Amino acid sequence: MLVFLRNRVLSSAVPLLFVVLGVFFLARLTGDPANLYLPLSATPEMREAFSESHGFNDPLLAQFGDYLAQIASFDFGESLRTAQPAAEAVLRAFPATLQLAGFTMLFAIVGAVLVGSLAAYRPNSWVDRVASFLSATAASTPDFWFAIMGVLVFAVQLDWLPTSGTTGAGVWVLPIATLLIRPFGVLVQVVRGAMVSALSAPYVKVARSKGAGETRVVFRHALRNAGAPALTVAGDLAVGLVNGAVVVETIFGWPGIGKLMIDSILQRDFAVLQAAVLLTALTIFVLNILIDICYALMDARVRQGATV
Amino acid sequence: MKSPLRPPALAGPPGRRAGALLGAGTMLLAAGCTVANSGATAAGADTVRIVLPEEPPTLEPCDASLTATGRVTRSNITEPLTERVPATGELAPKLATAWDRRDATTWRFTLRDGVEFHDGTPFTAEAAAFSIDRTVNSGIDCNVAGYVFGDSEISATAVDGTTLDVTTAEPDPILPLRLSFVEIVPTHTDTSGKVREPVGTGPYRIDTWNQGINLRLDRFDDYWGEQPAYAAALYSWRAEGSIRAAMVTSGEADVAVGLAPADGAGEHAVEFPNNETSYLRMDAAKPPLDDIRVRQAINYAIDREGLVASVFAGLGEPAGQIVPDGVTGYNPDIAAWPHDMDRARELIDEARADGVPVDTTITLIGRNGIYPKAAETLEVVQNALLDAGLRVEIRMLDVNAWMEYLLRPFPADTGPTLLQAQHGNQAGDAAFSLGQIYGSEGAQSSWGTPELDRLIQEAELSSDAERQAAFAEALAHQDREVVRDAVLAHMTGIISLSPHVAYEPDSATNDEMHLAAMRPAG
Repeated sequence: MLVFLRNRVLSSAVPLLFVVLGVFFLARLTGDPANLYLPLSATPEMREAFSESHGFNDPLLAQFGDYLAQIASFDFGESLRTAQPAAEAVLRAFPATLQLAGFTMLFAIVGAVLVGSLAAYRPNSWVDRVASFLSATAASTPDFWFAIMGVLVFAVQLDWLPTSGTTGAGVWVLPIATLLIRPFGVLVQVVRGAMVSALSAPYVKVARSKGAGETRVVFRHALRNAGAPALTVAGDLAVGLVNGAVVVETIFGWPGIGKLMIDSILQRDFAVLQAAVLLTALTIFVLNILIDICYALMDARVRQGATV
Repeated sequence: MKSPLRPPALAGPPGRRAGALLGAGTMLLAAGCTVANSGATAAGADTVRIVLPEEPPTLEPCDASLTATGRVTRSNITEPLTERVPATGELAPKLATAWDRRDATTWRFTLRDGVEFHDGTPFTAEAAAFSIDRTVNSGIDCNVAGYVFGDSEISATAVDGTTLDVTTAEPDPILPLRLSFVEIVPTHTDTSGKVREPVGTGPYRIDTWNQGINLRLDRFDDYWGEQPAYAAALYSWRAEGSIRAAMVTSGEADVAVGLAPADGAGEHAVEFPNNETSYLRMDAAKPPLDDIRVRQAINYAIDREGLVASVFAGLGEPAGQIVPDGVTGYNPDIAAWPHDMDRARELIDEARADGVPVDTTITLIGRNGIYPKAAETLEVVQNALLDAGLRVEIRMLDVNAWMEYLLRPFPADTGPTLLQAQHGNQAGDAAFSLGQIYGSEGAQSSWGTPELDRLIQEAELSSDAERQAAFAEALAHQDREVVRDAVLAHMTGIISLSPHVAYEPDSATNDEMHLAAMRPAG
């Protein structure tokens, strides 16, 4: 198991390194931030002084070397925009996104298991058809459109919910619903497919013949076996939440890392962008390792046959 | 980053996974319904709630020429010595009560007595001198310094407690106007770096700033002037215009700024001329744009009336010069170019006959979101220019990439370009526009002529009625003889205003939004 884990960590660390490299160099290809931070009438000398003082005049490789040295001492640089430590901004924003993503995945998984199992229990019944139609719609709805419509309907027209912000319990509903819609739609279909085959498996017949109740048959026997593919997809969807978080946080004024990332891209705030991407990549890295561990626990073949 | 291995669907499962997931979820729920990183700040009835497009990056007073900073800081938290009244264009007293020019390079200011900073420090001539020096000479990259003073030498001396002398290396007839951008801070303000939360003399002081969430200002009880109507102001920010508008509609905010016609402010929308003028800057150094007939043809080809009526939803005014009415130097005799497609085609054909390479592809360089419907505007222009017989492509860029084209030195190896640009003259004097936009060496200028340079320099050194006439002449010369640009329209801004708040936006609203000008309606 430890050998397996070591191999998985090493093989996942390579993409992580590429992400850090990529963000660093791509960000700097987009032009000198001096234009954004100096007045339009700034003299060439002022621009030169700005670039010099922030080290943008050094060769790219030298800048990258300095950056790695900084990271090694847990110094993530300073925000160009606010002149505060980048790490501070990122760590302040991260929990809000984690909350949003955590609740979203929880609701997506629980909801999808219930709906998907219901649909699979009577394939091709009207319940199944409605569930399949709705989940396909949900999986293909653009989150941006859904968010704006949600605000117009539930906040402006009906006045049931706040438009956005962080005050009160109502603020959770629209952001989570928006972020939830795609993973939920996909997961319902995955659960349904897996459950249909699980419910027709021999052991379910055995369980029924032994007199087990239907609920027990569905949720204890069949679901256990349908869980693995659902988990696989859920892991990938959780990674995809980073994209969703950018849209949701920007629209709803949610003080998380997605909004921070998009702002720092637009503002060419390199230090904050790098810190945000690094932390997000690390999170995804850890999540992947956890998913792999789950597989390994489930299936000895994965453990022993794991070659990297 | 997918796992390369997928377990078979029917692998033996432990039930621990679901348990762990549920456990994690329960923990999240147990964390309560409070959003992480959200400082709760209540807003009572005596609080005015304003929603901005973006959080101020800082409240540093010497960066107050940045819109996002200035609209919160200026004349709310900190105050300048003088202040321009947008409606009249006059300069009004603020922390200075009077000023006069003692000689060609020296101005003397008499300062208000009995004014206190928020921390109880008295306001004196030393503080005024210190603030000017900190803004212009301290080397902390103050945005105001570059915006207002360029690289001109300036020094301030306290004569006594309420008298200040300001000396410039070159004669400067509009120094008091320039000083309206210098916000006054106490002498113990940091000079080695910027301050995020300044102390000032303004009617409001900073109460709490929950970064990423909101910013609350409280009324300053010892303010020297009239106490403002609202006890507090609560700023929040949303990037999406339709959400800002919805917040006013649903009663979550009282004022929403920076809206577009499509954002749906409905009955709460208040329109106001916002000081901005949209224009296309022609790269007149490169063929075929180096031929004045081609530049004239471009001006004739664009239907400004149609553009304003359809694309700008009727908001705005077709324009023929870069500054709007109300700015010193505005020339009422310059009309917007008429739409005359036949004349445009004729001019292009003439140029072609003389061997001008009018078939060279011209690139329209646009900036997403520079004003509402920015991309559609360029499509309308492209259509018109194709119609006139030119070859035109569009490239839309984000702010930073577009800036590379706006400011010298320009990117090498680009062909002839028309740059989508917008200019807002915050200061109310054409000196803040002409040199940098039309001067041969101007920071945002693609091309100029020696004659136009001479006219601009003369105007910059003259005062009063002469100054107005000289700038008006420079603008007319540009329009007739140089034709460097295709000016499109003087723009109109939209804010959304709750029926519970009385506030009249003016041309300065975008750059400084005075809380003292707001009061409960009725």
